[in-house]
Formats: sequence, structure tokens, C-alpha cells
Amino acid sequence: MIRARRGAALLAALATASLTLSACGGDDGGAAGKELRLWHYESPDSAMGVAWNQAIEEFKSTHPGVKVTFEEKGFEQIQKTAQMVLNSKDAPDVLEYNKGNATTGLLSKQGLLEDLTPEVTKRGWDKMIAPGVQVTAKYDAKGTMGGDKWFGVPNYAEYLQVYYNKDLFEKHGVKIPTTYDELVSAMDAFVGKGVTPFTNAGSEYMAHQFVYQLALDKADRPWVDAYQRYTTKANLTDQAWTAGATTFADWVRKGYVAKNSVGLKAEDAGVAFISGKFPMMFSGSWWFGRVAKNAKFQWETAPWPGAKLTLGSGGNHWVVPKGSKNKQLAYDFIDITMKKKAQNALGNGGGVPVAADASAITDAKAKKLISDFDALAKSDGLAYYPDWPVPGFYDKWVAAGQKLMNGTAPAEVLGGLQKDYDGGAPK
Amino acid sequence: MTVTLTDKQAKTSARRTARTRDRRRRRRGPAAYAVLLGLAALAGIVLIPFVVVVLNALKTPAEYSEKGPLAIPDSPSLEALGQFWDRVGFGGVLVNSFLISGSVAVLAVLLSVLNAYALGIGRIRGRTSILVLLLMANTLPQEALVYPLYYLAKQVGLYDTRLAVVIVFTVIQSAFGTYLLSSVLSTFPRPLLEAARIDGASRWQILWRVVFPVLRPTMSVLMVFFFIWTWNEFLIPLVFLVSNDNQTVSVALGVLQGQRLMDATMSSAAALLGLIPTVLFFLIFQRTLSRGLTAGAIK
Repeated sequence: MIRARRGAALLAALATASLTLSACGGDDGGAAGKELRLWHYESPDSAMGVAWNQAIEEFKSTHPGVKVTFEEKGFEQIQKTAQMVLNSKDAPDVLEYNKGNATTGLLSKQGLLEDLTPEVTKRGWDKMIAPGVQVTAKYDAKGTMGGDKWFGVPNYAEYLQVYYNKDLFEKHGVKIPTTYDELVSAMDAFVGKGVTPFTNAGSEYMAHQFVYQLALDKADRPWVDAYQRYTTKANLTDQAWTAGATTFADWVRKGYVAKNSVGLKAEDAGVAFISGKFPMMFSGSWWFGRVAKNAKFQWETAPWPGAKLTLGSGGNHWVVPKGSKNKQLAYDFIDITMKKKAQNALGNGGGVPVAADASAITDAKAKKLISDFDALAKSDGLAYYPDWPVPGFYDKWVAAGQKLMNGTAPAEVLGGLQKDYDGGAPK
Repeated sequence: MTVTLTDKQAKTSARRTARTRDRRRRRRGPAAYAVLLGLAALAGIVLIPFVVVVLNALKTPAEYSEKGPLAIPDSPSLEALGQFWDRVGFGGVLVNSFLISGSVAVLAVLLSVLNAYALGIGRIRGRTSILVLLLMANTLPQEALVYPLYYLAKQVGLYDTRLAVVIVFTVIQSAFGTYLLSSVLSTFPRPLLEAARIDGASRWQILWRVVFPVLRPTMSVLMVFFFIWTWNEFLIPLVFLVSNDNQTVSVALGVLQGQRLMDATMSSAAALLGLIPTVLFFLIFQRTLSRGLTAGAIK
């Protein structure tokens, strides 16, 4: 009986505890003008994390008396719950949010995000950001990117490039390629020595990004706009797409990328390159910091050999929720992140800043990373990513890449993608 | 964890028997050893993911990049564990998880008992259809529940509170609890109830004095299950607990998943930290669990 009574006491205690919980969870509401609630999902040691931490400090010193409540979120949490959070009174004042039609575009259409256009022109952010990078920050009334209203302000950009392991190139006596033909002969040389030239991951973005790049080699700007921004009807079985898919299938057959990489994750492929197993990796600037930190060999980066168009875009950006109680503070904070100081910190941390001072970047590799990007942005060479135009297209593209690697006919794969594209693209 | 323990116990006891009692040895033919070997191998396979997590949690990122996920760490470091602890404020997160899971475990069992008393012993009308309904509700994916629950919570002002999660999971878990307990109670020995009734016990007294003690082992098992299930829940806490101050362990682990990159060593450290409490809880209540799901009878 004593035991039973103790159990009952425990039970009662827990029950009361759970009931008092609601009291702790309440919000204090009307702290307008006194508090900036800020969310982002970059890890503290990444380029963005470092730069933004500095920006928070600077904000505190320029805004004495304002409390900054920063919460680090997970990418997935924001991706899954942003719509619900922004539709409640618990929305933060400024947050990092994902670019794209299905994310920022959708929420802007639903009226959950503040139109930043007046602030952008007032504070001159539009002059700092290259037009090619602006595309992902501006949306039209239908929520399609490339519109006329600013809903996001990107601090950084990202693009794909080739990472070269210089030690392996030297060891096998191969010259680092600067044109597409040189790339092919370099790959032949490596295959001749029994080395697989490119690391690859079939079950994530890497494989289909090869396909898109190989198609871009045969394409032009209107082609990209048709596919990404629905300016004209996109034909996924046209000459450029066919060339891209066929060439990639060919590459697999010739052993330029390993056939057994069909089931690998990007993480595996990246780690394999960083551990020195492959001479080349074609992937995003998001790997730069990690390669710089962990690679034990000589390396360099360059855009895809001979490319006029390559994969890349503005990065994820700051958005201000409609429900924010402190919009002015939010704008002030964004302004600090756009200043040279924060931008240079971002660049020195291995990110691609949108408005840095090239002379302030100390690391030679980071300098090249940024100047390569600036050249691409200036020549209107950013072609975004193949999975953007249609919601849920990423998984379709991964499957398509795997099919190509497994020997399905390119025409058949592209035909399937065309169906998915037509089904998902806005009419 | 439990698997190794029982496995070790099995091995030592097997050795002991083999050494001391020769009579028994004849009965333990090669088949028994084959089974033992098979079970040991199985336990090893079950443990592989756990071992990989531990290996990577103790590695530095540089070592991970260089040698890959399966290498043994040269100089094990607890750096990643400490970093993760500080980054998400793991202490507070643990308290949240304990509060939520503990409250849910207790409240859901209580609710299940009351429901099951009405359904299993009270034999109210339409009890089969109620049970079928509960069972169907159990198969509903949480993704389907999230939006309606979100709107409800917002309406009553419980969005971003731990109480909302406690209420939701108390109901969800007690659906299963009700189903299980009512089938246990429907086979409850009638003579016991009749004897109590003749002695003049009210319904309430019958529940607490007669049914409750008999049901206690089953209830403790349920409580352990509810605790662990609630602890591991991800989607609903992710949606409902917006502020970092209210987060649970499983949600805090999600902070590390980037858009394109993952921090493998820190993720492992986080997984290890998230795993330890449930394993401890499981070990502490192992006896309760192994007592099984059957209620006692008249004896």
C-alpha cells in the first residue's frame, strides 16, 4: 500500500508539473522597439555563422538598449514549419529563409512576408547585389522568382565549380584543364592510369548537376529562362538536354565517373574527395570551407572548364515576416550584414559574399573563389539548379540521374522528366 | 544495449552450466550452441550502428574527412560532445524532454485505465466499434494530424507551449493504451469483481482496490513504452515547440542537419547524447518490461 501511495504522489506531481508548463511557455508580446528576434540556421563556425555573429555584436553596439534574441534553428525545422510559425504571433522579426518558388515565393504569395522593395531602394541594397543574384530574391504576384518585388535580401551566393586535387594531377602528369576538350583528355589520361577522375553521388544532387552542366554547355540564356522562369515552353527533349543526358551516360560508360557511385550520398562523395581519393570534384561553393579546413593536399578551384553558363544563384536570404513587431530593427540588422565589414568577414570565412571588398579578402583561394563568382555574375552566367522549376522535382532528378547511370536510354529519361515538368510547372 | 547484456548473461551462464553440471551438458546439443552463436551474431549486427555512432562521436572533423566513418579514432576526443551540449543548451532540452515524456507517460496511462475500465469491465454499448475507431486513429499518420492540431493550438493559445505537446501525446498514446488495456480487462476474472461487489464496493472502489493492483504490471510496461515513444517523437514537437527554450531532444538534434552539408562528427555526438537517456531509462525499467504484458490472475 505504501508503494502504491508513493506512486500516486509521483503521479500527482507529474500531472501538476505538466499543467504549470503552459505558464512558462507564454510570450511577453509587446516589447516593440526593444527586442530583435532573429533566427538563422547556419552553424556557428561556417562563413555565414561567423559573419552574422559579428553583425549581431555590431547591432548591439549601434542599438544600445535593444535586446537581441538569437535562436539557431535547423534547416529542416525552418523548411517544414516556417509557414505555420510566420502565421502565428510567435514569428521572429527577421529570419534566414530558403530562396525559391516553393519557399519564399509561396509565402510571399500568401502574404506572410513583408515586401522589402522600399527599404531595398532606400538603403541601396539593389545596387550592391548583381542582377543575376537578385533573381532569387525578387518574386512576382504569383510567387515566381525573377519578379519585381523584393522579399529577400541575400548576403551570400553559391555556385558550382571544379575542385582540383593538384597533388594527384602532378603525380599522374596531367595538366589542369581550362577548356572542355582539355577536360576530356585529362579524364582520358586518368582513366588510362586506372584513376576515376570525378567523385560522384548518384543518390543526391551531384549526378544530375553533371547532366545540367553538360546541357548548359550547349545552351543559352533564353533556354535557361524558359526552363527556370517559364518564359517560353521548355522542351526537355531538345538538343541541349539530349546532349547533356547522352554525354553523362557516356561518361559513366567510359569510367569518368564510377558506375558504383549510383547509390552514394553527397557526403560520401565529398569525404572521398577530401581524403584524396579523386582528382576532381564538381560541386558547390558550400564545400569550400570544409575542403580548406580538412584537405591535406594542394588544391585549387575553377569554374567548369569553358563554361559560359554554370549552376549557381544567390544564397538563402533574410526575410521579414509580415507579423514582425520590430521591422525597423530588422532592416537595421540586414543593413549591417550588407556592410563591407560583415561581407568581408563572410568572404574570409570561405563564403561567397554578394558585396565584399575584393582587396580585403586575405586568403588567395577565397579571393579566387569570389572573383570567379563575380565574373560569372557579371557575364550573366548563373543558371540556377535543375530541380528548381517544379515542386518535388529534386527527387525526380535524382531518380533520372540514377537511371542514366544504370543505362536507361537518355531519351526515355528525358521524356519522363518532361512529363513531371509539364505536370508541375505553372500554367 | 539490453541485447548485449542478456547476451553476456547468456554466455556466462552457459559457460557456468557447462563447467559444473555435466548431466545438463548432454541435453545441450550442438544445436543449442548454434542458436547461441546465431543470437550473438545477431546482437553484434544490432549493435553495429551504435558502434559507428560512438566511433564518429569521438573523432575530430579532420580525422573524419581523412579516414572516413569506419576508422577507429586515433585520439578519442569529447570535444564534439561538449560543443553540441553548449550549442543547443542540452541541459534545458533534456529537462523539457523529461517533463513532456514523463507527464505523457503518467497521464496517458491514467486516461487509458479509465477508458479501459469503462470499455473492458463496464462493457458499455458499442465498445467494439469504439475500439475499432481507436485502432484506426492509431494508424493515422501524424502528418495528417499536424495542420488541424496546429490550428486548434493556435485558437486556444497553446501554440509554442509544452502543454500542447503533452495534451496531444496523452491522447495519441492513450488510444493505444485503451485498446491494449481493454482487451486485458475484458478477460478480467469476473468472480473477483463479483466478490468485491458483494462486499459492497462501489465502482470507483472496485477500480482502485481490485482492478488497479492487478493491472499494475501491465500499466508500468505501458508507462515505459509511452515514455520512450514520446521521447523519440519528432514531427509534432518540431511543429509545436517553436522557441528553442521549449525544444525537446529529438528536435534539438535536427539543428545540425544543414541544407547540403552535415556535420557528421557532431551529429554522431548529438545522437549519442540523445540516445543515452532512453537507454538508461530502458535499463532501469528493464525488469518491469520483461515482466511482460500479461496481467495477473486469481491466485
